[in-house]
Amino acid sequence: MRIASAAAASTIMLFTCASLALAQTDCKTVVPPSPWGPNDQTGATNRITPAVTKAAAAEIQEGKVVVMSYPLTDGIPLFGSRFTKTILTATSLAPGAAFGENQLTYMEDTWLGQSHVGTHLDGLGHIGRKDCYFNQTPMGKYINQNNMTRLGLEHLKSFATRGVLVDMVKVFQAAGKLKTNAACRKPCLDAGTLITAADIQAGLRMYNVTLREGDILIIHTGWGDLFEQFPKQNAVFNAGEPGIGKDASNWLVSQKIVAVGADTWGVEVIPGENPKEAFIVHNILLTDNGIHIIENVRTDLMAAEAAGTNRATFFFSMTVPKAVGLTGNFVAIEGIR
Amino acid sequence: MTQDPAPALREGRRRFCLSLAWAPLLAAPLGVARAAAAQERRYTIAFANLTEEPGSTLEGTGFTGPEVRSSFVLAARKHPLELVFYDNQRDAKKAQANAEDAIVRKVDLYIQYFSDPDANAAIAARLKKAGIPVLAVNHPVPGAPLYTLDNLAAGRIAGDALGEFAVRSWRGQPTVAAIVGAVEAKADRVPERVQGVIEGLRARLPAVKPVTLDTQGNAARVAALLGKFLAGHPAAKVLVAATDDSTALAAKSALEQAGRTRDAAIASHGLDRTLHGGYSDKKEIDPNNRGSIVIGSVAFYLDRYGYDVLPLALAMLRGEGVPPRTVTRHLLVTAANVFIEYPPQDMN
Repeated sequence: MRIASAAAASTIMLFTCASLALAQTDCKTVVPPSPWGPNDQTGATNRITPAVTKAAAAEIQEGKVVVMSYPLTDGIPLFGSRFTKTILTATSLAPGAAFGENQLTYMEDTWLGQSHVGTHLDGLGHIGRKDCYFNQTPMGKYINQNNMTRLGLEHLKSFATRGVLVDMVKVFQAAGKLKTNAACRKPCLDAGTLITAADIQAGLRMYNVTLREGDILIIHTGWGDLFEQFPKQNAVFNAGEPGIGKDASNWLVSQKIVAVGADTWGVEVIPGENPKEAFIVHNILLTDNGIHIIENVRTDLMAAEAAGTNRATFFFSMTVPKAVGLTGNFVAIEGIR
Repeated sequence: MTQDPAPALREGRRRFCLSLAWAPLLAAPLGVARAAAAQERRYTIAFANLTEEPGSTLEGTGFTGPEVRSSFVLAARKHPLELVFYDNQRDAKKAQANAEDAIVRKVDLYIQYFSDPDANAAIAARLKKAGIPVLAVNHPVPGAPLYTLDNLAAGRIAGDALGEFAVRSWRGQPTVAAIVGAVEAKADRVPERVQGVIEGLRARLPAVKPVTLDTQGNAARVAALLGKFLAGHPAAKVLVAATDDSTALAAKSALEQAGRTRDAAIASHGLDRTLHGGYSDKKEIDPNNRGSIVIGSVAFYLDRYGYDVLPLALAMLRGEGVPPRTVTRHLLVTAANVFIEYPPQDMN
């Protein structure tokens, strides 16, 4: 009994000390406040109002659905030490294992993997600066062994809005500055290629689009062709990527968009502009502005659609589960035209 | 009687003030960058690398020419310039031919990384006649500002780190020290590094007289040299200053084989990828590996030269003052700061 009490006390002490150790920063000096108030846990999806969704619905003109997610299966490129493993339970297919006179059988899956795999959404709790997350949240106070108690995916609103594609391959080709990668079967921007605000603006001009509040911007770099070659090109895909830098991120913040996605594993340029900064674009978009990042978006089909029709906008349809306390999750995206 | 403003209004004012406080931080760099981009012309800068032979290491470190070149490519991304690359191939004739080609191309500035003083003098004269300014890397070029390593300072940092470790951890216990590596490699200025280590150690441990163990650049010789040294000091604590990272890892292995890891500490020079790791590489210096006897490595940052050198080149082209000698900011990188100096890309 005494031992149990001591153990319990130690555990309490451990967790108390851990919390104190994790929450030491005055987050008001580290992260800006949310424009939606001190209690906001929703971030940029606050911008998706009924009016924004209704306006986006005007993009559905032909009823054509364009797939914008990659297959989620064992063997796709995964970041760092991440893994996926699916295990099929099919025991009821064994002779004599069917249920009842109707001989019902069933199967289901065990999914093992991290949440940030495949085509996935980075939630507001994914990236912070020190222990400070979106809206000056001292995250050390809001985590336990299983999840976060603030900024989880369950607080996000709809993503039913307009999607806008910018084709950086075309932009760089037009500017005569495309440096492709030999492993890409189709033209792609090479790893380390910096996409600036001017490049994005050129991409918007190419299809005569102006960003509006509540949009989701999707960047086609061609790098996703390496994802599609999994597992052969996984190492090349993961070793770096083309993407946006600080200049483009700050400009996108000023455009009041909801999310930025790309056919890359991190959306931002890797190696980064400053070798001593780590994933700074994630800080700018997620931590400071509550703007989501969507990684491994399949963009080639929509890029082809845009090129064929001279229209780069679409209704953005994405399912994000109400996964309580999660920092992100894999998603399914369709662009509806 | 003055009525208190409504709480919502107070909150609104507070948030407005806070947002005003952040706005200049976000907006100012954008405005400045746009103005600068609008005015600046694009320069053509040539970089003549010492060698681009894969696997050929530079300056007595583990860094290679392709890593130096890559740093220029990456650093150039946010500057208004085009780069022209040359490979000097450690050859004076090739270096001179490269300079001649750059003159024909009419580059705006020439960055010369070459170790032959006579060739550098001849190239300086040719480029001066052509009106092309020169910036020298690691080896002086007459009349040109120099960006260079500071081996003496780096050695002092390593020596000081070892001495500090011994004073803190082994106070009063018999301690010996060895400086291991290509200690006689004058072309790579390693003797300056060795001298720095001696000075750094002396400041903390005046009684310890370090010995030098010359591997002649062959890390495979570390085991025999260090093994003999360890056998001669069976009861002593051992400080090892490795002149490069490969030597440091070989020394670690030798200490493990001798069963002396609990008696030893190693400080290294270079901080190449064998120690800080790259994408999914083993990371010897890592916050999760604080028990390593490699307590740190003094960073030489050859893989970041472009980030240091190109701003100097642009300053020269803009007519701004450039000091005659700019040195690498050497720093001891340990498990405590490695993720700051070399942020990992894999979040493992």
